[in-house]
Amino acid sequence: MFDVIFIGLSLSSILLLVALGLAITYGAMGVINMAHGEMVMIGAYVAVLSSIWLGANFLLAIPIAFVVTALFGLVIERLVVRRLYGRLLDTLLATWGISILIQQAVRLEFGLTFFGIHIDGLGPGLQNVTVPSYLQGTVSVAGLEFNGYRAFIIGVTLALTALTWFILYRTSAGVQVRAIIRNPKMAAACGIDVKRVNALTFAFGSGLAGVAGVMMSGFKTVFPDMGATMVVDGFMVVVTGGVGSIFGTILSSGLLGEINALVAIGTNDIIARAVVFAVVIGVILFKPNGLFSYKGR
Amino acid sequence: MALERKIQLAAYGLFIAALFLAPAFGDEFWLNRIAKYLVYGMLGVAIALTWGYAGILNLGQGLFFGMGAYMLAMSLKLASPTSLSQGSDTPVPDFMLWNAEPGAPTDLCCINKGSFLWLPFQHQWFGLAMGIVVPVVIAGVLGAVIFRKRISGVFVSIITLALVLLVRLVLVDAQPITNGFNGLTDLGWLTIGGIEFDPYSRATYYLCAASLSLTLIVARLLADTRASLILQAIRDDQLRARYLGFNVPVYQTFFFVVSAAIAGFAGMLYVVVTEFASPTFMDLSFSVTMVVWAAVGGRSSLLGACIGAILINMIEAQVSETEALVEAWKAIIGLIFVLVVLFMPRGLGGLAHALVARFQRDEQPSAPAAVGAARSETA
Repeated sequence: MFDVIFIGLSLSSILLLVALGLAITYGAMGVINMAHGEMVMIGAYVAVLSSIWLGANFLLAIPIAFVVTALFGLVIERLVVRRLYGRLLDTLLATWGISILIQQAVRLEFGLTFFGIHIDGLGPGLQNVTVPSYLQGTVSVAGLEFNGYRAFIIGVTLALTALTWFILYRTSAGVQVRAIIRNPKMAAACGIDVKRVNALTFAFGSGLAGVAGVMMSGFKTVFPDMGATMVVDGFMVVVTGGVGSIFGTILSSGLLGEINALVAIGTNDIIARAVVFAVVIGVILFKPNGLFSYKGR
Repeated sequence: MALERKIQLAAYGLFIAALFLAPAFGDEFWLNRIAKYLVYGMLGVAIALTWGYAGILNLGQGLFFGMGAYMLAMSLKLASPTSLSQGSDTPVPDFMLWNAEPGAPTDLCCINKGSFLWLPFQHQWFGLAMGIVVPVVIAGVLGAVIFRKRISGVFVSIITLALVLLVRLVLVDAQPITNGFNGLTDLGWLTIGGIEFDPYSRATYYLCAASLSLTLIVARLLADTRASLILQAIRDDQLRARYLGFNVPVYQTFFFVVSAAIAGFAGMLYVVVTEFASPTFMDLSFSVTMVVWAAVGGRSSLLGACIGAILINMIEAQVSETEALVEAWKAIIGLIFVLVVLFMPRGLGGLAHALVARFQRDEQPSAPAAVGAARSETA
């Protein structure tokens, strides 16, 4: 039983890493970023590429992935998302287009295949990342055995969540973001540069997804389409938890991850996913604002 | 009759005439491909009806399409020669025998636990009826619940999206009765009134052309009703419509159901044309792709969305002839989509309307006419 809860917890932490970025961008900016899953994918490819080309340590890939995906996020915000504020469903559609573009860019190695150039680690094939040995194996604490890598994922998630919390609630930038979540126009009236803060928020959210991608690359194969399901899962977590509520996102990722693990033990993975979807539908039907939502002003 | 209206009627007339003239220009193989695109055109109409007129972005239209497809495919599967020659008196789908437990009776009633569900599908008419009834019932129940609870905007999209993925998972998991990932292949031909609809025949093409024309005309007539005006009022300001005393959920649910029925119908035709049904119909990407077609063609233009769907697929087929461009094409579609959303949110249909409006202004430079044209742009 404890094993199941532990596995559920590690599933939850991956969900949370993906959802955290989405929750911030959706909550603060009213943008549904369907390309968020591709940020996860880029993060995973950064892990692949940095181990092939830089010979870099797996741990080193985490900050690199954060920076790379944050830059990607910044570019997307500048070029596309910025023009679509206030058109929620249009942001969903436009970022869906972006997500296809990014997938194909990786698959076609940024178009270089047409010139017969091949970059090791990109392309349509499957990639693998080897997790360093000190993260493999099991750790035993108080007589209980933990899978080392899963424990590592949970640890990283905790650290990043704490960091996000700190930024949002203990820094002046965070105050600005929270003000925008509550009421963007009033925030602008108070002298907050909404555009600039939004751009940075978007970049930060993308960066978090990039780190999630590195984590994911440790136990899943990396391929260009891997982000597509991630964004759906992440978004369901955000909606279930309540838009604009970091706390709600944390709890709902815990809830959905555990449900997934518990049902999967009793039946199989497919049914478990189906049950998670059913729970999400139920929550939206009965609490359309999510389980824990901010009251907008 | 306003000029704009005349042009619109002419556009519909021309399009439908073109549908029925197309067989003069190609062989059966080409017609089969075009028939498939016409089915996609129906999906475009279904999306435009809910998205353009009701403001409901359904990201799970594939659910209704898939249900329609599976219902008819089950009947056609039982009608196929292989199902008839499995050594029992009644037809049995081959995949059920492959996975049957040793000693299980080779009969639909009890070859496995769920196979009795297939029994009524021995009658082709049952499959045909269910292809419409099932999507309509699902949409009716779903619509009644979500619209009565005043769920709107992106939350409707999320619910429909979650539902289509949920059903897809269940369908794949119910492998003994649905053949799981592989879907239903090796189907028989649809036979109505002695006509066998061989997918590579003119009869099948005309069936699709007639269905699309019928769909377009019915949707157009619906869009001209008072109900559709009220629906557009709801789309623009739901609260105000409610205060004016309109029963908002009823109108929303009605159009949601009509759209589902069109999608179910399209699903059945797709099975007739392509001879398979597969869980990929319920992939997220397929449902979003439909929205892409409608967006490029014009979300608030029924004919535009339909033409958008057909056009994109024809271009895609052309491009895909060159192998190197297959993957690049997807990137181009993604790029087109971003550009359309950014710079042409009304799509091709909106472009056409703008042209007509400009033309009209040149003809009679009185300001009120231009304003009127701009107002009636949602068509």
